[in-house]
Amino acid sequence: MATVLRSQCAFARLFAGKTVQILNNATDLGAKLGPGSQSVLSRKYSNYAHSPFVTKIKEQYDYEIVKKPAEWAFVKRLLPLETIPAVTPKETYPSGWIPPKEEATSLPYFIARTKNHEVPIYLDITYRGMRKITKIRKIEGDIWMLNDEIKSYLKQKNGRYVETRVHEIGRFIEAKGDHVHDLMQWAYSKGF
Amino acid sequence: MGSRQITEKSLSMLRSLPRISLQNIRDNPNSKLKNKRGRGQHGGDKHGAGNKGSGQRQNFMRLGYETGNNPFYLRIPQEHYYRGHHLRREYPPLTLHNLQKIIDKDCVDTSKPIDIASLIRSGFYNFSPDLKQFGINLTDEGADIFAAKINIEVQWASEQVIAAIEKNGGVITTAYYDPHSLLLLKNPKKFFESGQAIPRRMIPPSDLIEYYTSAKSRGYLADPEEISKERVKLAQKYGYTLPNIEKDSDYTMLSERKDPRQIFYGLEPGWVVNLKDECILKPKDQELLSYYNS
Repeated sequence: MATVLRSQCAFARLFAGKTVQILNNATDLGAKLGPGSQSVLSRKYSNYAHSPFVTKIKEQYDYEIVKKPAEWAFVKRLLPLETIPAVTPKETYPSGWIPPKEEATSLPYFIARTKNHEVPIYLDITYRGMRKITKIRKIEGDIWMLNDEIKSYLKQKNGRYVETRVHEIGRFIEAKGDHVHDLMQWAYSKGF
Repeated sequence: MGSRQITEKSLSMLRSLPRISLQNIRDNPNSKLKNKRGRGQHGGDKHGAGNKGSGQRQNFMRLGYETGNNPFYLRIPQEHYYRGHHLRREYPPLTLHNLQKIIDKDCVDTSKPIDIASLIRSGFYNFSPDLKQFGINLTDEGADIFAAKINIEVQWASEQVIAAIEKNGGVITTAYYDPHSLLLLKNPKKFFESGQAIPRRMIPPSDLIEYYTSAKSRGYLADPEEISKERVKLAQKYGYTLPNIEKDSDYTMLSERKDPRQIFYGLEPGWVVNLKDECILKPKDQELLSYYNS
């Protein structure tokens, strides 16, 4: 809308600060000129910084302050989530996502869910797609037993031996090749 | 001296030597590249530049020059795939499958109308208005598994997507937001903290007017009666029975729409939201009211 002159618009500056931009489709809150401020306009200053501040500003626009408004629910809806919400149990999950089951905690090993309620199985692609490695993270309990189970499961699925690598301290297992889908199915079947 | 003696000697030496620790550990010899070049008669030989020619003199040919050949960049005819790329609008996609996943994980509230602000709030969608991205393109991947009844507002949607949502008793609207409004929808909290009045939403540019006024694309500027006709037509085309939303228990939620000038649900342009004192400043001045209502 109107260009924001410094002398005209001290009120807007007060609102927005020097660093925050005033959107060009917002109204210029200070653009309403009183009779006294006309003289400021007519002068040309060599520099923006040399122009004086306007000190006397009348209340320009009439407004009301609504405390505890009914519309505050709409504002609350827009504010960011403080935590990722817990999933309420449902009958079906059409997206194919499955919540963790109670029975998984009785196993000697455990794969914890991520903060976004996902099973931490990922595909690492390196060397321009030449090397694919499936990584299972967040393993708790007997990692070697889990490794043996995964090895036999992948051998049965693929009909060949699949190399794996166990990182005991990092609590993750890497399997050679793209087995994300297979291992996801396995993890869901175990209840992780 | 036999090899056995050497072994014993080295082992006894090893016993007397201090153990490796952080205090005496060091890099392997020549494992680090020096960043100084050698000087002098033999130390500074060619410095990796090779012998003679443009390599040694560092006067390389200009980019694309092929020493007398007709260069590649002139040999191939021009094809203007990217003409005007800096003016094109981009709509980062969100699949119906992903949307279903967000709903399954309760990251978005389906009892309220869903718009771009609530999808960004869920944390599973993001975009940058400053890269000429104009909002969500809802794509049809996972249309057959989609099973949620929602009132959603996106910026671009195909016919299949509209059918998938209306089949489940939901409502879809395509709405245009100018980049400034999208910036507010991306981070409403930051905007409210700046203390500025909520601006008006701009009307779509001339080349988008047709899309957003057409009932086929469920545009937000389309005639509601035309839209209800198109809903029936689409149901016949895709062969599903259209659920009657007028008799639905969530009718008030499903019929909730934004004003074409409105950016946030329930908040009118011109208002200033004070997060600290939890109050809203509403203009009463006639001049302002007429400005924001225009």
